[in-house]
Amino acid sequence: MSLKSALTVAAASALFVAGASLAQQPAQNPLDVVPDKMPNDIPYGSPITLDHAQAAIAAAVAESKKRGWKLNVAVVDSGANLVAFARQDGAQLASIAISEHKARAAVKYRRETKALEGGVQSGLNYLLTLDDVIASRGGIPLIQDGKMIGAIGCSGGTGSQDEVVCKAGAGTINK
Amino acid sequence: MNSKPCLTLEDCKKIGAAAEAEARKNKWNVTIAILDDGGHLLWLIRMDGATPFNGQVAIEKGRSAAVSRRTTKNWEDRIAAGRNALLNMPVLPIQGGVPIMVGSECVGAVGVSGVQSHEDEQICNAGIAALGLKT
Repeated sequence: MSLKSALTVAAASALFVAGASLAQQPAQNPLDVVPDKMPNDIPYGSPITLDHAQAAIAAAVAESKKRGWKLNVAVVDSGANLVAFARQDGAQLASIAISEHKARAAVKYRRETKALEGGVQSGLNYLLTLDDVIASRGGIPLIQDGKMIGAIGCSGGTGSQDEVVCKAGAGTINK
Repeated sequence: MNSKPCLTLEDCKKIGAAAEAEARKNKWNVTIAILDDGGHLLWLIRMDGATPFNGQVAIEKGRSAAVSRRTTKNWEDRIAAGRNALLNMPVLPIQGGVPIMVGSECVGAVGVSGVQSHEDEQICNAGIAALGLKT
């Protein structure tokens, strides 16, 4: 190939590439969107009382027992510190820490851990680099009078089983 | 094969209720933790007014008592007597952790934190007494 024809091919290729990029309009990165309002802007309330925490745990354990499941249930306060915990007979050891982690993450991120799970599942892998994330459903904030007083976390079954029991516990406070 | 007794959630509720009653009787706001023989948490309450710090300490006292099969007072006393090497052991050597013994078997422990150490231990003992075990 002569030098001249090589240059012509190169110029044609460059034009082609430019034309293609104009025609495609690259999709906007959804993470570049700047919303007007804060997401999940639930104020932190005063810490959950022991009575409320124990009521939530009792309801969760009752639901789990009714279904013949064996779970760990943890309640943390609005500072993400443990307030009450119960392990059902025969529940797996790993879930002691996981149940507390789910509750803690629900408080720290002011959302159900299901939201983190959904994000990771949809491909937002960066979520896994955020501090103290647990991307697994079964952690639910406890909201009283519009303020977050704590959270409940359940673990020991499948995520879906954990979620069912967690909701039963959270239902004692989230009306 | 050997078999050994094992704490149930019902046992924990009994221990916890008695320990909590002892604390309330004295107007003490504490954290009460019950752990199994492997030092794993079974049950916990942090009473209103007890600090997050109490929560961590109660668990660590209970874990220490469960895995060492001794009271944490025993650890504290031996260190106080000059056995400084024990400071390097993986336990929290502060009174307020008591193992639950069924005969010669340790089935778990209770750890309490929130008031003076000897009072923490008093709460542990009140809780364990509710099981009606022979000592």
